[in-house]
Amino acid sequence: MLLQIQGYGLNRLKKIATYLLWLSLISLTCPAYSAEEAEVMVKEAFVNMHSGPAGGYPVIAVAAQGQWLSILKRRTTWFKVQNEQGKQGWISQADLHLTLDSKAQAVKLSDGSFESFAQRQFEFGAMAGSFEGVPSVSLLANWMASENIALGLNISQAVGNYSENQLAMLNISHNAFPEWRLAPYFVLSAGKIWTKPKGGLVQSGDEKRSNNVISAGVGLRYYLTQKFLLKLEYNSLLVKTDRDTNEELAQWQLGFAVFF
Amino acid sequence: MATRFRSLFLIPLAVLLASPVWAQEADVIEPQPQRREITEANIDTENFEIGIVAGVISIEDFSSSAIVGGRLAYHINEDFFVEAAYEQATAGQTSFEILSGGAPLLTDDERNYRYFNLGLGYNLNGETFITDSFVINSAAFFTVGAGSTKFGGDQRFTLSLGAGYRVLLTDYFSLRVELKDHLFNSELIGQEKTTHNIQYGLGATFFF
Repeated sequence: MLLQIQGYGLNRLKKIATYLLWLSLISLTCPAYSAEEAEVMVKEAFVNMHSGPAGGYPVIAVAAQGQWLSILKRRTTWFKVQNEQGKQGWISQADLHLTLDSKAQAVKLSDGSFESFAQRQFEFGAMAGSFEGVPSVSLLANWMASENIALGLNISQAVGNYSENQLAMLNISHNAFPEWRLAPYFVLSAGKIWTKPKGGLVQSGDEKRSNNVISAGVGLRYYLTQKFLLKLEYNSLLVKTDRDTNEELAQWQLGFAVFF
Repeated sequence: MATRFRSLFLIPLAVLLASPVWAQEADVIEPQPQRREITEANIDTENFEIGIVAGVISIEDFSSSAIVGGRLAYHINEDFFVEAAYEQATAGQTSFEILSGGAPLLTDDERNYRYFNLGLGYNLNGETFITDSFVINSAAFFTVGAGSTKFGGDQRFTLSLGAGYRVLLTDYFSLRVELKDHLFNSELIGQEKTTHNIQYGLGATFFF
C-alpha cells in the first residue's frame, strides 16, 4: 500500500510538472496515451460506457462479455476506457468491479472504502465555526503517525467587529477507536495567535500583537463516504498575555476533510 | 474380410493424420498477450482542477470593478467538489465622492479588495447540445463557501454563494461562467450593514 501511495504521489508530481509545462506553452494538444495502460476483461454480460465521468451522462456504448478494455484515466470514481474497437467511454467503479484483471482475478480497488480510510496517511480539510462568538474558518492538515495518533497543523482566521485574529496551531490528536466509523478523539495544541484591533472603531493605537496559545479539545470524526470525512471539534484555548490573568477562549468548529 | 483388414490399417493411419490436425488446432489459440495489472497506482487520476477567473464585481457603494483570481478544486465524487479561491480587485468611488468632489473616503491602499474562500460545490452533470449533432459535456454547479475579504483596511468574514455553468471542451479542459454573491458586514459608510457584492466572470480550468 505504501509503495502504491508513493507511486501515486510520484505520478501526481510528474503530472503537475507536465501541466505546468503545457500551461507555459499554452498548448492544448491532446495527450498521447501510453501503451502501458492496465487492461481488464468484462466478466458480466455487459457494462455501460457513458459519455462522461458521471451517471448523469448518457450511455454511448456497451462493452460486451469477454471484451478487453484499456483503462486510460480516472476521474473520481469513474474510469475512462477504450474497447477493442477503439471506442472510448467512461465506466463506473461499480462496473469496473464486474471485470477480471490480467490474472483472471476479479478487479477490486480498495479505495473509496472503509478499509482505504483505515490506511490513510494524510488528511486535508477546512472547518468553519465560532471562535469566542466570532465566525471563524480554518484549514487543517494531518499526518497519521499511527492508526491512533495524528500530528497536524491548523490555521484559523476569526474576524469579528472589533478585532481580527489569526491562529496557527500545531497539534497532536489521539483516537482510541480508529476502527469505528464515528469515533471520538482528543487533541492537544500549541501555537500562536495574532490579534489586530479593527480600524475605525478602536483607535487605541494598538498594533497587531501576538501571544502564545495552548489548547485542549475533544472532537468527533465520521467517515462519510469515498474520500470524505466530517469533523466536529471543540477547543478550549489559553492565551498567555502580558496582563495578570491569562485569557480563556473557546472555539467550536464543524468541517470536512479529504484523505489520501 | 479384406475391408476389415484395410480398415485396421486405416485406423492408425487416420490417427497419424489426425494428430497434426490437433496440433494445428492448438496453434490457432492465440498466445496470451502481456496485459498490465490494474492497481490504483497505475491509473492516471485527474481529480484536481486549477484555473483562472476574470470578471466584474459590483462592490456595494463603491461602484463596479474588474476582478481577477485563481481557484483550485478537488473533486471528491461525481457530485461534490471542494474549492479554494483567491480574487482581487480595486474598488472605485462612492457616488458621494464623485458628486461632492471632496476628500476620498478611503485611501488607495484601503480600496484594495482581496478575497479568499473555502467552499463546497455540487455538480449537476449533463450534456449541452450546441446543434442536433454537436454535443459537449457540461455541468451546472452551485457553491457555498466561507472566507475573508480584506477591504477598507480590515478583514471581514465573508460568506459566498455561487452558481455557474461549465462546459468540458476536452476531458481535462473546461470553460465556465460563474455568478457569486459575497456577503460581509461593513460600516464603511457609517452604519453597519450586510453588503452584497455580486460578481460574475469567465474562467478556464485544467484537470490534473
